[in-house]
Amino acid sequence: MRPALREAEARALASLGHTGRRSLGRVRAVDAAAFAEAAGESDPRLTDPAHPGFLLHPMYLVSLLRGPGPAGQEELRPDGMYRDEVPGTDGLDVLLMAGGQRLTWHAPLLPEQELERTHRLDSVHRKGRRPAEFLVLVVHKTWSTPRQGLVVEADETFLVR
Amino acid sequence: MREVRFTPDQAALDRFGASTRNSHRIHYEADFAREQGLDGTVVMAQLHGCLLFRAAARWAGDPVRVVSLGWHNRAPSGPGAELTVTVSVSEAGAVSEAGAPAGDGLVRLELTETGPDGAVCCLGYAVVRSGR
Repeated sequence: MRPALREAEARALASLGHTGRRSLGRVRAVDAAAFAEAAGESDPRLTDPAHPGFLLHPMYLVSLLRGPGPAGQEELRPDGMYRDEVPGTDGLDVLLMAGGQRLTWHAPLLPEQELERTHRLDSVHRKGRRPAEFLVLVVHKTWSTPRQGLVVEADETFLVR
Repeated sequence: MREVRFTPDQAALDRFGASTRNSHRIHYEADFAREQGLDGTVVMAQLHGCLLFRAAARWAGDPVRVVSLGWHNRAPSGPGAELTVTVSVSEAGAVSEAGAPAGDGLVRLELTETGPDGAVCCLGYAVVRSGR
């Protein structure tokens, strides 16, 4: 295993079970509608905030990586990903890929609420054979608001090479 | 069986990335993406997820009926490639939220997203409340 990958594994194992929190700010209907448009959505319930049945796109909040405001350069890896997005990989020469997700919605998110995301590394596994070993990390995430409580949770898989 | 089709171009990836504050360069810089071993810029995983979600929501008739959604990324796709999501009801049919058979109106759907050459980009599932 490459030293950088071994270091990523050691860091990840050390952070297992620790919960981090991040504010994603106030979620606006117009931003969720813009997201839906960008995703090629045509359902007016997701793209038109004036529609009587308008709904914040359920995929919006789970796709949103940061709250409003500019990200500082110090928050980013050289590849443009956020340094804290994949636990244990900050500053290491490793390739990161999204492996998949499992999402469960508990309630439709209402607009204009402050959204908080938590993330917790739940598992770290080695896969593959030398010299093509890689790590599979599973991060459990939740999104909640003070008014609604938990609205959605996810298990997100990352591949680290 | 219903299909969802979408062909994201580079502008769509830029818009989607801006709306989610995703600055990963493999989605915007073709040369950088090639340095990472890809053929060029690639569609975001969450955008694939949106297409899978759309297919499930259309089957159920309402986005709020989608209870859960999961998928594995199998192969990357790039801008200009038409993506097609097909839906089928799994043999398991109705399921509880825990995945066990139940008569509570929940249905498990199997979702497959393919690229223009038929290669599978994502394999997934959704559990929806049936309005049928």
